[in-house]
Amino acid sequence: MEVVGSSVAFEDVGSIVAFWSLAVVTVGAALMVVAVRNLIHAVLFLILSFIGVAGLYITLSADFVAITQILIYAGAISVLILFAVLLTPRAARDNAETFLQVPGLVLAALVGVTIGAIVLVTDWNEATRGPFSETAVAIGEALLDKYVLPFEIASVILLAAMVGAIVLVRED
Amino acid sequence: MIFLAEWWDVRDLGNAVGALLEWLGDHGPDWLPYIVSAVVGSITIVVFLLTSLLVFAWVERRLIGRIQARMGPNRVGPWGAFQSVADAIKFVTKEAITSANADRWVFWLAPILVVVPALVVFAVIPFNEGMILADLNVGVLFLVAVGSVTAIPIFMAGWSSNNKFSLMGAMREVAMLISYEIPLVLALLGVVIFTNTMRMNGIVGWQDEHNTWLVFLQPLAVLIYFICGAVEINRTPTDIAEAESEIVAGYHTEYSGIKFGMFWLAEYFAGFAIAAIIATLYLGGWTLWGLEEWVPGWMIFLVKLYGLFWFFIWMRGTLPRLRIDQLMAFAWKVLLPLGLINIFFAGLEVLLWQENDLPAEAVLPGFAIANLVLAVVLIAAWAQLLGRGRPQYRPTRARLVKELGAVIYGEEA
Amino acid sequence: MTMKSEPFVVNVGPQHPSTHGVFRLRFTLDGERIVDAEMIMGYLHRSMEKLAEGRTYIQNIPFTDRLDYLSAMSNNLAYCMAVEKLMGIEVPERGQFLRVIMAEFQRIANHAMAIGSFAMECGVWFTPMMWMFRDREKILDLFEMTCGARLTTNYVRIGGVSFDIPPEFMPAATALVKELPERIAEYESLLLENEIIVVRSRDVGVLPPELAIAASTSGPVLRGSGVMWDIRKADPYAAYDRLDFDIPVGTRGDCYDRFIVRMEELRQSVRILEQALAMLPEGPASVEVPLALRPPVGEAYARIEAPKGELGFYLVSDGSPHPQRFHIRSPSFINLTPLRDMVLGLTIPDAIVTLGSIDIVLGEVDR
Repeated sequence: MEVVGSSVAFEDVGSIVAFWSLAVVTVGAALMVVAVRNLIHAVLFLILSFIGVAGLYITLSADFVAITQILIYAGAISVLILFAVLLTPRAARDNAETFLQVPGLVLAALVGVTIGAIVLVTDWNEATRGPFSETAVAIGEALLDKYVLPFEIASVILLAAMVGAIVLVRED
Repeated sequence: MIFLAEWWDVRDLGNAVGALLEWLGDHGPDWLPYIVSAVVGSITIVVFLLTSLLVFAWVERRLIGRIQARMGPNRVGPWGAFQSVADAIKFVTKEAITSANADRWVFWLAPILVVVPALVVFAVIPFNEGMILADLNVGVLFLVAVGSVTAIPIFMAGWSSNNKFSLMGAMREVAMLISYEIPLVLALLGVVIFTNTMRMNGIVGWQDEHNTWLVFLQPLAVLIYFICGAVEINRTPTDIAEAESEIVAGYHTEYSGIKFGMFWLAEYFAGFAIAAIIATLYLGGWTLWGLEEWVPGWMIFLVKLYGLFWFFIWMRGTLPRLRIDQLMAFAWKVLLPLGLINIFFAGLEVLLWQENDLPAEAVLPGFAIANLVLAVVLIAAWAQLLGRGRPQYRPTRARLVKELGAVIYGEEA
Repeated sequence: MTMKSEPFVVNVGPQHPSTHGVFRLRFTLDGERIVDAEMIMGYLHRSMEKLAEGRTYIQNIPFTDRLDYLSAMSNNLAYCMAVEKLMGIEVPERGQFLRVIMAEFQRIANHAMAIGSFAMECGVWFTPMMWMFRDREKILDLFEMTCGARLTTNYVRIGGVSFDIPPEFMPAATALVKELPERIAEYESLLLENEIIVVRSRDVGVLPPELAIAASTSGPVLRGSGVMWDIRKADPYAAYDRLDFDIPVGTRGDCYDRFIVRMEELRQSVRILEQALAMLPEGPASVEVPLALRPPVGEAYARIEAPKGELGFYLVSDGSPHPQRFHIRSPSFINLTPLRDMVLGLTIPDAIVTLGSIDIVLGEVDR
């Protein structure tokens, strides 16, 4: 596990351009998810924001996490969401149709204020250590060494979900 | 490996590009080499793929014609060689009809997006030591990730056609794709267990260093990967989306003209990608036991790639088509358990090797033979276990009778 | 936990690559399974039976070519046998043997097409069809040598055949019959043991023998269900009683059994042809029949074992040169009757495979 580079500030042009364009894509797509009328279009914008987040991981040199983000989010979870949307009876309904508009606005405002306060009040440190160069090896060793119990519990949860899915759709 | 790192060394075109980038880096701003290298790499990949497509569209039709005891196209140009050009002109000039109620943006975007994964996969495939666009540390995982994104444009195509049959076809297609991703990953894991790295050039280097090809060490994995790859690119025996006799007509029914041409293009590019991946990971990539010092590595690689693509063409001309539920049963009940058992044994072998620090020359032939025997035994045993040996599945002949009048229903043939 | 679902209607045809012609099927699906199948035919109805009442008996022979347009010789044969029965004409020996030879060649040609298109339904995309068409082409060349036409042959006539065979027919026919067995062995090795075809067609589209007999099916459909019945042995016509052959019968009544029955019938046809070509007697090929044919008042029904099943012609004559009633008992039409019961509970690809295994030709279904 090597550490590459000592300076981690985003100083060069490439990093700045990459970060800001990816940030615009991600946040813009996320805004469009809640702004478009068609539910399927909302899901497609969600997929775009997933890919934007993967790009942001790459700017942080976390290559394994970025590829896994694409594999799981853009590859599998988006398929899950699309199937779920299409199998519900009223998939063609308007995204904006809800009778909980006022409570939704209140809740969104509260969450926004909380997050804004955290961002402004926290004392953010800059990382002093550079990025790893072999992240896959590091993650693998950590998963099987320090974090083996959460790893195994996650596997058991996934197994329970799969068995539950099969039981639900079995025709008896 | 004696690679003279001079720009005129045609055996590794990466040298020429590297020299150009160095010159640019000295004489220009810092970010210019990155952009130029990305542009040069992308254009090369696209040009290579399009040329291969033009050639192989013709080759496939001639080869399938020969398999079917007929000639294949032979009118347009000598031996019909310009048939692909004629096909391309046909695709471009046909009217691209968009249904009135189709979702215009998604309908228009789906054929474009479906080509993207097939193109992007080539970024991590090494044509030679220096001829790789992005030598990622997680190259193998990148292949899997990009392959899994293919499901989304297919779904977009099916949904935006505003045709319930296209939607059903797209959902079936997506179910098939995600079912076959899991054995695909397991097959690739077998390679990574042996080579201890996910870098594509690293895997080729491991095969060169140990003087062996991973196909000998992992026969079951290469078989599983080949089958999963064929399914991912919708080739017969699994081209359910394009089958005429499947009435649910498939996700690209409503597409015509160049939009349909893009789907066809994506299928071929993905076919080249799968062949390239098998050539790199299992067949040693651009190395050929030392021959790469005289013959350019990329030529060796291309020969392997096209040779593997020939297998796809052969399968298309020969095999019938499976039903969708039989196909998914095959993935979940056969390929997934076999893949799991394969990586278990691969891990066991690597553990024995590393723990006891045995020399490679002694151990690897033993592993090769053991794995081959394991593959044959596993496939036979699994088929027996699933009941394939039962009389219901055995082929029979008709009974010959001379008298008339009786009924022999229900008896064993 | 039950999911709410509603039935879903899927329309197959009339224009569709797998319906063997203009044939329309309406399936009502529950999920993936078929719960109801409705057959809508008549797209190729040319009112042949009515048109025939305005023409003389000899002018009706070309009509019969166009019924099952893939096996014209058999159609001609059945009709001519009906007229000969009506008039009491005896066909000479050479004519009978020539009829047998042409009928068996036609059976091989027809089954080449039927097996090829069945394999295509299973998804093989042309290869077996192209291979079997090589033999079909050779047979059609023989037909062209004899009567000038490949498809609508108009060869078997009332009282015999239209032309005696030319001298180059015998060597060509014997050479073809000699090389057919190894061709058939090649097809069997590629198709019969192909696991995907076995898996696609075993236990698909099962026709129990009681239903087969009740629906009066015939031909490979009936024999595939295990019923031993062949008109060439039950009601022999045209020199079949002097030839030695077996009848292939299936045991399970599924698509695979119909398929292997057809493959085996290829071999038996080759066997019949070897014997018939060797036993071909000398002599006249046909008797003279007046052009203005006036059969006596009466009715006649003649049937043959056409490649698709029992093809029968029912003629009623009132003494005039035109038939009063000209009815065609077409095997494809009758064999289609139990289709609904065969496809209930299957998925659509299976239903298409079942339809392919019945081997229909719309010219015969709609007449």
